[in-house]
Amino acid sequence: MRQLINALLKYKNTLLYMGLLIISLIFLNHRSFYHQSIFSNAALIISSNLNLTGKNISNYLDLSEINEKLLAENIKLKALELIHFNEQSPKNSAIDTFGFEVFGARIVKNSYNRARNYLIIDQGHEEGIDVEMGVISSDGVIGIINQVTADFSSVISILHRDLKINASFKKNGAYGSLSWQGDHPKRMKLDDVSTLNSVMVGDTIVTGGMSDYFPHGIPIGKVLSFEKPELEGYYDIEIELLSNLTQKEFVYVLKNKKKDQLNQLKNESR
Amino acid sequence: MNRDNLISIFQFFLLLFLQSFLLNNINLFGFINPNLYILFIIVYRLDGNPTLLIILSFALGLLLDLLTQGSGGHTIATLTIAFLRPLIIRFSFGVNYDVPMGMIKGSLLTQRLLYLLLMVVFHHLVLYSVIYFSFSNTITILKNTLFTSFFTFIMTYISLGLFKEK
Repeated sequence: MRQLINALLKYKNTLLYMGLLIISLIFLNHRSFYHQSIFSNAALIISSNLNLTGKNISNYLDLSEINEKLLAENIKLKALELIHFNEQSPKNSAIDTFGFEVFGARIVKNSYNRARNYLIIDQGHEEGIDVEMGVISSDGVIGIINQVTADFSSVISILHRDLKINASFKKNGAYGSLSWQGDHPKRMKLDDVSTLNSVMVGDTIVTGGMSDYFPHGIPIGKVLSFEKPELEGYYDIEIELLSNLTQKEFVYVLKNKKKDQLNQLKNESR
Repeated sequence: MNRDNLISIFQFFLLLFLQSFLLNNINLFGFINPNLYILFIIVYRLDGNPTLLIILSFALGLLLDLLTQGSGGHTIATLTIAFLRPLIIRFSFGVNYDVPMGMIKGSLLTQRLLYLLLMVVFHHLVLYSVIYFSFSNTITILKNTLFTSFFTFIMTYISLGLFKEK
């Protein structure tokens, strides 16, 4: 004990310096947006690499389960292919006009129990990923990319209190904005739907075409309950998500090929 | 509380306000603002308590950053040279330095200049590295360090004459 105290006294200046240096770095992080972005980028690189190692191990142990899931998805795709060949309709051109490029990626880290959740995926700008691309999974929307390093990207989950997504009803196209209240990872709230439209429990909600990030018509969820406030012109609608974001493994990143044109139009009309 | 402490407190606030309200607005050639306030760390008694100096210079840098809306560069820079000061003193005055009264007679002129120069250059290097904080701006960092150090060095050297005891 005595030796410990002596050692502490001997290095007290160095320890004091380190402590105050950390305080000043925190200060720097709070005061300057530029430094904040550099720090968070470095933190992303470190945490994504650490998480990748852990994920690799657990993935190896889960291989048989993943195989089953892939098999199920393959069967589904095979069925679609057969239907497609049976129809023999000239719809082949649909793929060419589909304005999005698709990249596959694996989730390295996923969080869903905070008020603002983020995911990390194992594809970065070397593979062509860029910020503000949409991310979906096999059965729903995941989020939007907000930060990219060489090999990894961080994704703002739709389970993020500050993110709003344009969504619409599948049956009649009435649209509103979808946001997460921060309480349950399968519940979201749809605002700004005008009371002129009819709403039923069980209606399907899909992505609206007004977003640059997602194509129109990706299923998001179903109406769980709704309320019609007396004095406002908008419904309060509660949505149950179709996909379970707490157990996702693989995602697809969507690159909007025509985003430049869209941005150009927006800038010109301003 | 003795006379030395009073003088130190006076210097602390004088240099702080001088720096934040006058010297930071000079903008010589558009970018040169001499950082005279590190004079406080330079003239601090050579045999003074180094732990106290670290705390004081942290406070000095922090207050300066708050007064000038800086992001935190001055805090880190002053903190670092206060921490490195014993090393710089040993390097410039030799291992067996025996000058209890600071920059007063008893040391060679070259030793004093070396001490002053090292303190100033280290401070500016850390300051601009923190402010620019990227490898692609290395040239800008070195350029700013060189020019601003030069002016700070001259100003510090002149001001040292004012602090000299009769």
